[in-house]
Amino acid sequence: MPAPTAVTATTISSDPQSYEDEHVHAVYDEIAPHFSSTRYKPWPIIARFISSIPAGWVGLDSGTGNGKYLPLPLDRPGEIWTVGMDRSRNLLSIARKAGEGDVVREVVWGDVLGNPWRNGSFDYTISIATIHHLATSARRKAAVQRLIQSVSPSHGRGLIYVWAIEQDGLSKRSIPSEGTEDDTQNPGQDVFVPWVLASQSPKAKPKARSKGNEDRLPEQNEISKPPGEAAEGEPQPKVFNRYYHMFAKGELAALLYEAAESLGLEVGPKPTDQITT
Amino acid sequence: MVRLITHNLLACHAKGCTTNNFPLQFKDVSIELREAEFNADFLKGLLPRIEWKALVDAARQLGDTSLPLEQPEMVDDEFLKNLHHVLLEMHIEEGAMVCPNCSHVYAISNGIPNMLLSEHEIA
Ligand SMILES: [Zn+2]
Repeated sequence: MPAPTAVTATTISSDPQSYEDEHVHAVYDEIAPHFSSTRYKPWPIIARFISSIPAGWVGLDSGTGNGKYLPLPLDRPGEIWTVGMDRSRNLLSIARKAGEGDVVREVVWGDVLGNPWRNGSFDYTISIATIHHLATSARRKAAVQRLIQSVSPSHGRGLIYVWAIEQDGLSKRSIPSEGTEDDTQNPGQDVFVPWVLASQSPKAKPKARSKGNEDRLPEQNEISKPPGEAAEGEPQPKVFNRYYHMFAKGELAALLYEAAESLGLEVGPKPTDQITT
Repeated sequence: MVRLITHNLLACHAKGCTTNNFPLQFKDVSIELREAEFNADFLKGLLPRIEWKALVDAARQLGDTSLPLEQPEMVDDEFLKNLHHVLLEMHIEEGAMVCPNCSHVYAISNGIPNMLLSEHEIA
């Protein structure tokens, strides 16, 4: 048995939709409060993108989670509006109140594969650490198509972030090396990333105040107490396996390219993995 | 939340429902008014991209008749204040939105609209 915090390779064992239901949607609904307490700080690159958005623009945060990007930019509150969408109703209840004060955010319960918007009605869209939870390449491509369709064809901008296999040297996660990352037909790697819920006690104060590792993927899972050190009589930590597709180098760019082409769009200079327009 | 700023963006996405699927019609809604910070730059920037008729109709359906049927050419403070109120201060807390084309019902509960469709219902 690997340690409960290790990333392990996985294969999709049922149809992708029920697989995501079990290993993504159900998990986030269950861990929502704890997850949210560890995800309070926006990643700088995304904050910078939002800071560049002009006054009067309305955006979509597809897979908003706890809504930490909805209050941005903090120095120009109310100059733009970001609407948050997520599959987890419990995370949305948190996202609704994201940010300081009692400002209520706009949140919608929806799926990244759905398309509940007037075409091209948004000026910008972000999708942060979301598309990697879809279990097939076709579904990930469909999600990218939905994002492209949601923004204005004349001036729309978007930012997509996913978990990549290639990490900067500082990442604490060890990635299973077996797998298919060199397979051009089926790039990337499917993994489980555990989430350890240390205590069910409602009084338990989430620790999770990590410094310096909030600005990159993968998410750093903070554990209040390592399993095995739990004192006698305390509830054992519960481990939830979250499904991720870890993207190979160039895979996201290729996906974007395909999605755009399939919508009849002309793609300019070939996109890189970090696309900001 | 469903405020009219969001309602102005939402459309029915049930399978095969691609025309006359906007705007969704409110049904049995309860509304809460909450003050929001006024931001003229936001409103002026947004104005050209609002679906105006949909916004005015929805506001009237909710009992607010402060907006003119045609978007005015001259934007004054009073107009912006009314627009601000309609877009950002009227919260639809409970009820539903119904597609004018296929009659699909999207429920609103605790201020959050449920736009999920089961996979076979998605276009
Ligand atoms: Zn419809």
